[in-house]
Amino acid sequence: MNTHPYLRAYLAGVFVPTLVLPLLLIVFIVVRIVLQVPVPIERGMIFPMAVVPSLFGLWNMLYMCSHPHTHLPIGLHGAILPLIMAPVGALVATCLHVLAFGAHGVTWFQAAYVPYMLIAPCFLAALAGYYLVWKYIVGSLNRVLGIA
Amino acid sequence: MNAHDEDRLKELLQQALPPVEAAPEPGRDLWPAVLRRLDASPAATPLRFWAWFDGALLAGLAVFAAFLPASIPVFLYYL
Repeated sequence: MNTHPYLRAYLAGVFVPTLVLPLLLIVFIVVRIVLQVPVPIERGMIFPMAVVPSLFGLWNMLYMCSHPHTHLPIGLHGAILPLIMAPVGALVATCLHVLAFGAHGVTWFQAAYVPYMLIAPCFLAALAGYYLVWKYIVGSLNRVLGIA
Repeated sequence: MNAHDEDRLKELLQQALPPVEAAPEPGRDLWPAVLRRLDASPAATPLRFWAWFDGALLAGLAVFAAFLPASIPVFLYYL
């Protein structure tokens, strides 16, 4: 099991976003096709479909590469990822007109309004979520694949 | 190898190897002490703490999503 460790790290990393993608597709089908709600979900799916899985895989490869030197727990390593993904995702969403900045808050998908004062708690919640996902899902996958 | 050789070999082996004495058994049951040491080991306390911490984080996330449902599509966007 010592062959292709980086490939296995990449596959373990992309596991979680790959599981979430069908959920997004179901939401897309229900909201846009069944309910015909005029929300641009399809534009917002570019980032989670094209960027997030690759970033997860590359981040896990980076963990495997850096762990012998840093000894950082995988949960904390995963919790750092939103620091990169949040601005990149916001930039992509702004370019695709999925995210709009208003006077008192931001509007996602022309429907979900988040006041500016709640952005920091949202970010902290994202850190916590990523910490848990990486610690319990990606970490256990790494152990199963023999790369932890 | 005939029977005489086997007896001779057995005799030589018995001379070469000292007899095994019966291992003295402890006067009391040691297993409760092992359990006490496992419970009191320094690794057990942090593990329990982190389990509580992670559970509290998960509960906090659920409460946060319940109070601010608009955050759910944003979280899905980043997964």
